[in-house]
Amino acid sequence: MEKALEIKPKAIKSPSGFSIIWRELVRDKLALISLILLILIIAFVYGVSLVLDQEEIVKVDLFSIHEAPSEEFILGTDHGGRDVFGQLIIGTKNSLSIAIIVTVLTGIVGIVFGLVAGYFGGHVDNVLMRILDFFNILPFTMIVIAFVAVVPKYSVMTFSLIMTAFLWMGIARLIRSKALQEKELDYIQAAKTLGTSNIKIIFKHLLPNCMSLIIVTMTINLAANIGLESGLSFLGFGFPESTPSLGTLLSYARNPQTLEFRWWIWVPASLLILILMLAINNVGSALRRATDARQRRG
Amino acid sequence: MAEKLLEIKNLKTSFRIRDEYHAAVDDVTLTVNKNEVLAIVGESGCGKSALAFSIMGLHTRAKIEGNILFKGEDIANVAPSKLNKLRGKNMGMIFQDPLTALNPLMKIGDQIGEAILLHNNTLSKSQRREKVVNLLQKVGIPRPEHVFEQYPHELSGGMRQRVVIATAIANEPELLIADEPTTALDVTIQSQILDLIKDLKDDMDSGIVLITHDLGVVAEMADRVAVMYAGQIVEVGDVLTLFEEPLHPYTRSLFNSIPNAHGTQDKLHVIQGIVPALQNLPRSGCRFAPRIPWIDEAAHEEQPILHEVKPGHFVRCTCYKHFKFPEETKEEQHHGVS
Repeated sequence: MEKALEIKPKAIKSPSGFSIIWRELVRDKLALISLILLILIIAFVYGVSLVLDQEEIVKVDLFSIHEAPSEEFILGTDHGGRDVFGQLIIGTKNSLSIAIIVTVLTGIVGIVFGLVAGYFGGHVDNVLMRILDFFNILPFTMIVIAFVAVVPKYSVMTFSLIMTAFLWMGIARLIRSKALQEKELDYIQAAKTLGTSNIKIIFKHLLPNCMSLIIVTMTINLAANIGLESGLSFLGFGFPESTPSLGTLLSYARNPQTLEFRWWIWVPASLLILILMLAINNVGSALRRATDARQRRG
Repeated sequence: MAEKLLEIKNLKTSFRIRDEYHAAVDDVTLTVNKNEVLAIVGESGCGKSALAFSIMGLHTRAKIEGNILFKGEDIANVAPSKLNKLRGKNMGMIFQDPLTALNPLMKIGDQIGEAILLHNNTLSKSQRREKVVNLLQKVGIPRPEHVFEQYPHELSGGMRQRVVIATAIANEPELLIADEPTTALDVTIQSQILDLIKDLKDDMDSGIVLITHDLGVVAEMADRVAVMYAGQIVEVGDVLTLFEEPLHPYTRSLFNSIPNAHGTQDKLHVIQGIVPALQNLPRSGCRFAPRIPWIDEAAHEEQPILHEVKPGHFVRCTCYKHFKFPEETKEEQHHGVS
């Protein structure tokens, strides 16, 4: 009798966050395929780039300009005689790294900013939101162009930082509105009546309750940031040719000759961008559905 | 004379509406003694909860004037960091809605454990766990070891309210504020929760401020009753006097509105009108006057004050001397209540 009573609650234990996400992914085959594809691409890119030497790949070789795909160069070479396949791998790695770093950094800044503004409200909120508005009206593209012109040599890290400085506002807004909603609930007041300090309430009570929103937003942001980096590089305001990225490969297609006759330079990169963004968005929308019981399929 | 635990002196809590401050709690003076239940009764919007939140220092953007003395120390308008030393340790609060008063993402054990940890970090983890399990047992939760590991959504409303109470009493506070602790619960659970609060009061010898609009709860629990209307105390007295001999028209109207199982009345008595919105509250004269229009204006005081009609029994305004329900006097019937 005692035993039976003890076992029963385990059987009706409500599903944890991960099992809900997993059920949603299993039900949504497209999202599952996207996730597997994403993991494979990321593993492949980061794995292979360990073996590849960036210096070697970006070295100009005048004897093998614009070679079509062959056994020596799987995806041919570009106008500098550089291996396109190698550039694709290094480029994807760079693009992904930037997107991940930017997403994480904007996430951290935006979350802290939004939580503080939303939780304290009043004057604190007013001042912080005016600062946010100021950043919002700055012309992002113009400043990046100026940055490229002023800073002679920039790396993945500096480029990520400059992007972060202008991209944290969206998530900050979102988190603020969620925090404004959430702080009105009694459990926040109850925590106050226990003598919990504000910092503790923000990070122990408010943050976990905003987590579903944060995860979903950051996933979707990741896709957007890949696109943004590629776009900037395509316009020539991203990385120089010595640091390949998906965008620099695309930008070679600005040459009509390349666009028409040398597909191997730009088609793989475009396809990869398409696949990455679609896959991340699919996973993101499955995550979004998982956080809302009414939309779940699983 | 009983020992004074909490003394509220001329408390005025005002909220800003369109750049003007309006007092939701207006000139309230009250005392709570040790081992005593003070009930605060009134309709929705009378300022009961605003008063409770003022005591706990939960208003972030209100203007608070007057004094709140907790064991002789003024806690009105002190910094939250200073207040945090008292809150949770010397004073606790039970919330109205157990569905939202618990963090949905924290295990029950951790939530109660946090209350203990904040004020006593000398205990080891296992000692704390033991204390939490004891608390859960004390508030009548079956299989506390199991509930310790559960999340709030896995418990029923009554169970959750017990957890809320366990959290509030974790450090055996001297003052417990219960803001409509049974409003969200059904009647059978209600009496269990009330019994629980009563037992805890006797156990810990603490003072309780019970906020409610349920006069049944008041009769069951309270030692003294304060009736609030439109931010003011209109009548204070001990529970027997007030139930036997309510004086103020508002108090009498409240009693008259209780459904009566073997009553002869066909219709339930309804107090005309509603509590006016905060910015429209009349700031002079008897605030209840607009809702008893059949009473002559001359019967009210211009600036009503609390009169001590008997030792310990205070009534605001003189209109109680002339107040009669429309049904009671024939000639006033044509003023009519619908």
